[in-house]
Amino acid sequence: MEILSLNLFIAALRLATPIALVALGETYSERAGVINVGVEGMALAGALTTAVVAYFTGSPTLALIAAIGVGAFLGALHAVWSVYLRADHVVSGAAINLLALGFALFLTRVIWGWRGASPSAPTMDAWILVGVGLFLIGISQIYIFRTPWGLRLRVVGEHPRAADTAGINVHRTRLAYTVLNGALCGLAGAFLFNNLGRFTEGMVGGRGFIGIAAMVVGNYRPLPALLAAYLFGFVDALQMRLQDYIPSQFSLMLPYILTVIVLAGFLGRAKVPKALGKPYIKEQG
Amino acid sequence: MSAEAIRMEGIVKRFPGVVANAGIDFSLDWGEVHGLLGENGAGKTVLMCILYGLYQPDAGKIFIRGQETRVRSPHVAIGLGIGMVHQHFMLVPRLTVLENMAVGWEPKVGPLLDRRAMRRRIRALVEDYGLEVDPDARVEELSVGEQQRVEILKALYRGAEVLILDEPTAVLVEQEVEALFSTVRALKEQGKAVVFITHKLHEALEICDRITVLRKGKNVGTLEAKGATETQLAELMVGREVVFTVTPEPLESEGRVLLSVEDLSARDDRGVPAVRGVSLQVHDHEILGIAGVQGNGQKELLEAICGLRRPTKGRVRVGERELTGESPSRLATQGLVHIPEDRHLRGLILTFSVEENAILGQRRQPRFAVGPWAQKKRAIRAYAGELVQRFSVSVPSLTAPVRTLSGGNQQRLILARELSRAPQVIVAVQPTRGLDVGGMEFVWEQFLQARRNGAGILLVSMDLDEAMMLSDRIAVMYQGEIVAVLRRGEATKRELGLLMLRGTGEVG
Amino acid sequence: MKWAKEIGPVVGAITLALGVGAIVTALTGYSVPQVFKYLALGAFGDWYQVAQTLTQATPILFTSLSFLVAFRAGLFNIGAEGQLYLGAFFAAWAGFSFKLPPVIHPVVCLLFGAAAGAVWGFIPGWLRAKRGANEFVTTMMLSYVAIKLTSWLVSPGGPYHGAHWANQTVRILTSAQFPRFMRGAQLSWGIIVAVLIAGIIWYLLFRTPRGYELRAVGQNPLAAEYGGINVTKNLILALTLAGALAGLGGAAEILGTHRRFIELFSPGYGWDGIAGGLIARAHPLGAILAAVLMGALRAGGQAIDRAGVAPADLAAVIQGLVILFVVAPELIRYFQRVVRRKKLGDIES
Repeated sequence: MEILSLNLFIAALRLATPIALVALGETYSERAGVINVGVEGMALAGALTTAVVAYFTGSPTLALIAAIGVGAFLGALHAVWSVYLRADHVVSGAAINLLALGFALFLTRVIWGWRGASPSAPTMDAWILVGVGLFLIGISQIYIFRTPWGLRLRVVGEHPRAADTAGINVHRTRLAYTVLNGALCGLAGAFLFNNLGRFTEGMVGGRGFIGIAAMVVGNYRPLPALLAAYLFGFVDALQMRLQDYIPSQFSLMLPYILTVIVLAGFLGRAKVPKALGKPYIKEQG
Repeated sequence: MSAEAIRMEGIVKRFPGVVANAGIDFSLDWGEVHGLLGENGAGKTVLMCILYGLYQPDAGKIFIRGQETRVRSPHVAIGLGIGMVHQHFMLVPRLTVLENMAVGWEPKVGPLLDRRAMRRRIRALVEDYGLEVDPDARVEELSVGEQQRVEILKALYRGAEVLILDEPTAVLVEQEVEALFSTVRALKEQGKAVVFITHKLHEALEICDRITVLRKGKNVGTLEAKGATETQLAELMVGREVVFTVTPEPLESEGRVLLSVEDLSARDDRGVPAVRGVSLQVHDHEILGIAGVQGNGQKELLEAICGLRRPTKGRVRVGERELTGESPSRLATQGLVHIPEDRHLRGLILTFSVEENAILGQRRQPRFAVGPWAQKKRAIRAYAGELVQRFSVSVPSLTAPVRTLSGGNQQRLILARELSRAPQVIVAVQPTRGLDVGGMEFVWEQFLQARRNGAGILLVSMDLDEAMMLSDRIAVMYQGEIVAVLRRGEATKRELGLLMLRGTGEVG
Repeated sequence: MKWAKEIGPVVGAITLALGVGAIVTALTGYSVPQVFKYLALGAFGDWYQVAQTLTQATPILFTSLSFLVAFRAGLFNIGAEGQLYLGAFFAAWAGFSFKLPPVIHPVVCLLFGAAAGAVWGFIPGWLRAKRGANEFVTTMMLSYVAIKLTSWLVSPGGPYHGAHWANQTVRILTSAQFPRFMRGAQLSWGIIVAVLIAGIIWYLLFRTPRGYELRAVGQNPLAAEYGGINVTKNLILALTLAGALAGLGGAAEILGTHRRFIELFSPGYGWDGIAGGLIARAHPLGAILAAVLMGALRAGGQAIDRAGVAPADLAAVIQGLVILFVVAPELIRYFQRVVRRKKLGDIES
C-alpha cells in the first residue's frame, strides 16, 4: 500500500511530539501525586501565547519562552488549587480547561477580531521542538530513575509521610512538578502553533487527554510513554492519509477510539502512585 | 554504663476529648533497652511520637544528651540521632530496599544516585548487626519481618543512636521475634539506646533492662527488669481496680448450629491464598472468638463469610440455608449481621446523616421504601430516633452528618443499626478498637445481651484479654488455618500465645 | 441555615470572579461600567432578554444535571457535549421520520434523545466499572467521536444531508416541536421540561433508595458494598443516566430552538454543564439557578457584543473565573476570614 511510506513514520514522530510532551509532564506531576487534567487548557494557552508573542515580536524564540512561562503559571495555579487549597484535582483541572478556552476565545477577538483564531505568524522549524522533546524525555528517564531528586519525587507520590520524615517538603515538591507539567504543556502548545503556523481554538483537540492516556499506557515512565505517544501520533498521521478513502469524520475518530480501547486495556495494569489525588495533611500536634 | 541519652520531663499531650500524656517523666540510658509497657491507649506511642517530633507536646521538656531540645519534626529528630520504627512501616512497597533506605540521605556520583556506595554501606550495616537483607529486592516482595529489618537498617543508616521500636512483635511470628531480639541485643552491645514499646509482659521481661509502665497517660512506675515479675507488672498496668467489668454467665447451648463454615478458602488483595480450608461452627447462646496475630487471614476469613470477598472454595451456611458469596444485604435478611473492623472505612458513610446511616443495610425494606422509587422519610426518621434513644447514641440531630459524632457514638450507632435487626449471627471484628472504657463496656454488654437472647457471635479481636473474657470457645488462626479450638477455661494465655505464634501448642 | 452555608461560598466566588473579570476588562481596554451594564441588560433587561437567558439556560440545565448525577456517584462526566449531540440528532431523526400526534411526538423524540445519550454514557460507565478506564478521559474521547459521527450524518456524503447550503437535516415535523412562549423569541417548553427533570433528579437522588445507593457509592464505595449495594452497577447506572440527561438536553434544543439538527450547533453547552454542576454544588435545584446564571452570561455576552462594547467571549472568561473560584471553597473561606477579622478590628478600634 502506498499509505505506509517512510513519510508516514516521520509524520507520526512529528504528531507524537505534543502528546509525548504532555505525557511527560503528567508523568512528573502524577508521580508527585497531583492529577492534572488541565493539560488540555495549558497546551491551548501555550499555543495562543506563542501566536500572540510571535505575531507582535516576530521572534519565535521569545514566543516559545513565553508559552513555557504561561504554561508554568497555569501549572502553579493548579498546584495552589489542588495542593494548598485542597480542591479536587480533576475539578480544578477541568476549571483550568474552561478558563483557558474562555481566554482563548476572548483574546483572539480582542487582538485580531477573529473568534478563536489567529492570522499566521512567524514560526520556527517544528523539528527543533521535536528534538527538544526527545531530549527532555531521554533526560527524564534518567532523572526519575537514576538521580536522588527522582527518587524523592517517587517517594512523595507513593508515601508522602515517609518523604516528610526524610525531610522532603511534600507540598513544595508537588508544586514544583505541577509547574513543570504546566511548562511542558506550554511547550506542547508552542509545538502545535509552530507546526501549523497559526492558532485555532480546536488545535489541541483532545491531545492533552490523549497525552494522559499515553502516560497511563507508559506506566508512568517517560520512554514507554513516548512509545505510546508514537502509536497515537502514528494513527493520527495514518488517519490523514485515510481521508482519501473514507469520510474524514471517520478517520478523525480513529485517535479517540484508539485512546478509549487502549485505556480499557491498560489502566488496570498501570501502577498508579499510592497517594495520587490525595491531599497531604501533616499530623496535627 | 549509665550515661543518660534521653530525659523527658512532665510531658503533657492533649487531643480533643482525651489527655494522652498527663505529665510523664521518662529517661533512657545508653546501652539500655527500655521497655514501655501499657495497655492500648495508655499513651506509649504518643510519648514516643513526641520524642520523634511527630507531635508537639503541650507541656514538658525534652533533654537529648543532656541538652534541652525542641524536636520540631522527625527530620530534626533523625538529625539528633533518633530513629523510630512505626507499627505501620514508612516504606514504599514498590521501591527497592536500597531506594527506601537512601531517600533523603542519598550518596551521589555526579548528579546520579550512587547505588554502589549505597550497597556498600548497607552491607556494612548488615554485617555489624546481623540483619540479613537483599538491597535490590523490592520491599513488596519481602515478608513483614524482613520489612521491619529494613526499617531498622534505615534508621541505623540515618545515624540513629536512639532507636524506638513501636510494638515490633505485633506483626511477627515466633522465629522472627527471636531474630528481632538478637538484633536488639546487638544494638545494645554497640552502646545504642533502645525503647521497646509493647503490651506483652513476658516480652518486656525477656528483652528489657528497665521497664516503665504507663497507665492512662501517667508513668506508674519504672523498675529493673531483673527481679520483676509478670504479676507485679500486670498490677501496675491495670491498677488494682478490676479491668474487665463484664462476666458472661454460663449458658447452656441448645446445640443448634447457627453459622457453619465448611472448608472455606480465600485470597487476599494481592491474590495470595490467605484463608486455607477453614471450617468452624457457631452455635446458639455462644461466642466464638478468633485469636491470631494480625495478618494470619482473619480479615479475609471474615470478609469471605460476610459476602465482601469471593471465596475460592468452601461453603457458608446460616441456619439451614447455604449463603456462600451472597451479598451482605441478603445475609442480613437471613439473620447474619456484621460489625466491620473500621467504622470510617466500611461501617459508616461519614457525610451521610444519622438517619441515612441508620438504614444503610435496610434501605429497600418495605418499612422504609416503596420499591426502589420512594423512601418513607417519616418512617426512617422515626426508626433512627428509636435507635438513637434505645442505644443512647448522643447526636446533635438526626439530620446531622455522622462525621460530627464522637468515635464512641459512631460505634454505638453501628451496633444499634446491626443489633436491632434481631440477628441470629453476629460477626464482629475489633468492635472495641479505639473506644474508652465506657464505650468498651457498652459493646460487651450488648454482645452478652445478644448471647442471652440466643444469638451466636463470631468475634475477632487482636486483644487476647478481650477474646478470652468474652468467648465460650476460642479458635486460633495461624497462617490461614484454624490450628486449635479451645473451650473457656481450657486455654491459658501462654498456650494461646504459642499457638498464635507457631501454630502449635507444644513447647520446644 | 443549611442553605446559607451552601450558598455563601458560591456567592463569594461569583463576586470574586466578577471582580477579576472587571480587572481583565479594564486591562484589555474596555469600559468596565459599560460592559457590566450591557451584561445585565442583555441578561435581564426586558422580557425578550429574559427569554434569551432562559433559552440558553435550557440545555445548560440538562448538561448540569448530567454532570452532577455522575459527580454524586463519584464520577466525572466531561463528555456531555458529545452525548448532547447524539441526543439531538436522534431526537431530530424521530422528529422528521415518524408521523405521530402532537404531545406524543415530542415525548417520543425526547425518549430517542435520552436513549442515544444513555448509550454514550453507558460505554464509559461500563469501561470504568469493569475495566477501570478513567471516565474523564474516555467520556471526553467519546465526545469527540459523537461530534464527528453526527457531523458525518448531515454532511454532503452522509445519509441525512437535508439542505444544499448547510450541513443539517430537514426540519422536524410541526407535531414534534415544542411550543414557544412569545413571538420572535426561541424560548420554548423546553425550559419547563428541564425544570421538571431537575425536580425529578432531586427526588431521585434524595428521596428514593436508588438515589441513596448512588450517593452512597460516591461518598464511600466500601461502606456501600458493606451495606449490600452493588457498586459496579451503580457506577454504570450513574454514567448512563448522565448520558441520558445530556441527550435530553440535545433533544430539547432541537425540539424547541433549532427544529432541525445542525452540525456543530452547540456553542459548548456540554462544558457549561461542568460549570453549572460545580456551581450548584451538585444539587439539582441549585443547578436551576446555576443554569440561569450561565444562560445570563451567554445572553449578556451577546448583548455586549451587539452593543459594540466588548466581545461576547468576555462572558466566557468570567464563566471560567466563576468556576475556578467555586471549586476552591478554601479560598473563599480564607477571604471570609479576612473580611471577618477586618470587621472585628473595626469594632475593636
